[in-house]
Amino acid sequence: MRSIFLVAIFISIVGTGVQSGEVWAQEEEPEVQINDPWEPFNQTMFTFNLKVDEYALRPVAKAYDAILPDAAQRGVGRFFKNLGVVERFANNLFQGKFPRAGQEVGRFLVNTTIGCAGFLDVADSLFGWQEHPEDFGQTLAVYGVDNGPYLVLPFLGPSTVRDVTGSVVDGALNPMNYFLSTLQVFAIKGGIGVASAVNYRSMNLDLFENIQRSSVDLYGAVQDGYVQRREKLIKE
Amino acid sequence: MCNGEKNSSRNNPSPGPSSVYEEDSVDAVCSVWRHIAVLTLLAFPTNVWAAESPMAMIRNTVEKATAILQDPSNQGKEKFQLRLAKLRALVEPQFDVREVAKRTLGTHWHERTEEERQEFIRLFTDLVQKTWGRALDRYNTNAQFLYDQERIEGNFAEVETRIFDPVQNRSFSLSYKLHQVDNQWRIYDVVAENVSLVRNYRNQFNRMLSKSSYQDLLQALQNKIKELDTLPSSTQERNATAG
Repeated sequence: MRSIFLVAIFISIVGTGVQSGEVWAQEEEPEVQINDPWEPFNQTMFTFNLKVDEYALRPVAKAYDAILPDAAQRGVGRFFKNLGVVERFANNLFQGKFPRAGQEVGRFLVNTTIGCAGFLDVADSLFGWQEHPEDFGQTLAVYGVDNGPYLVLPFLGPSTVRDVTGSVVDGALNPMNYFLSTLQVFAIKGGIGVASAVNYRSMNLDLFENIQRSSVDLYGAVQDGYVQRREKLIKE
Repeated sequence: MCNGEKNSSRNNPSPGPSSVYEEDSVDAVCSVWRHIAVLTLLAFPTNVWAAESPMAMIRNTVEKATAILQDPSNQGKEKFQLRLAKLRALVEPQFDVREVAKRTLGTHWHERTEEERQEFIRLFTDLVQKTWGRALDRYNTNAQFLYDQERIEGNFAEVETRIFDPVQNRSFSLSYKLHQVDNQWRIYDVVAENVSLVRNYRNQFNRMLSKSSYQDLLQALQNKIKELDTLPSSTQERNATAG
């Protein structure tokens, strides 16, 4: 735990300053070039992931969608989100968002007990405590680290060097590491990853189809979509 | 406010002397306010109050679009093209299509002749209308539209809205970026779930133009439009996924 604080302090020292504020109301669009020096590798991985989606994830998600009602899918989604409490708590803390970090603890306690292991978000409906998604990639960004090269990983999809580094740190923060062997942790995380991917995919069947249809260059559309959504999360 | 107070005093059957006095003072205050209001309006440049507010414009368009989709005479899969045509006739004038196209091409816009620009505008508008029209048509018509806020800065404005789908119990954020052209607010970008449409297409076009020619980009647009034309109507699709 202490080493992560040291990392955060180190980054705050070498950081190149917080990214520029919101851009709107401009005569010309600002030029945003996505740093993608490993494009050939990324393209291959992207094509691989599309095949995985086409032949495994999408068919499974469609079947799952036909069986499980929407409300249950949302419950499953909330259950998986509830498990990410340590990551959100720690990173709200690292970013100095103390009330939010406190709310995350409160949310976890309330939702795990009254909220039936996290399937219901009663903390929001009863107390108005909303989720504040933060991860170590965002923490790095707040301390001035920029995206670094764009990176597409097999099964995991689009990311950047900064955000992959962040995920590794978030993974190390998980309390499971203290109780279980590396192999067990890997198996559990793999299982959670697959299940939450199926659940998420089933909730967004239309969205994915729309993106595929409206894009002329799907790789570029997904790449930019990732970067834009991360920018927004970092700003919040 | 002023009128309301006057009416309520009039409705009073037996106004006592004190209430008459109050009515006079209310009148005096109202008259001062009216003068201030008139002076304020005169002090502003005309274009500020000539145009419909950006949010009102968006709300009007959304309401008309919903009416088209809900109109019984437009229902049914054989009316799909008719619905799309009606939506297009309604929505397209609210967009500054030239501005959208210009922003998506970025620096490449300046390298194109006026004829090429016109052709690009036509193809790009076609693509966007076909994908978004289809998505809109598939959309649950029970959706609720929430208008969160409007920001105006000089000639630019942003309207933040959310679409709440009661069936899925989820809401999606949808913001519009507008600028003023000839006293009218026109949309030049739509930001869906934090992803700007203009910026997203610009990344695609930039990448394509860095690898191949402008002619290839046009060809890709044409192919995509053809592909969309061969798809079944969205009603048929909906039935297929439901069954």
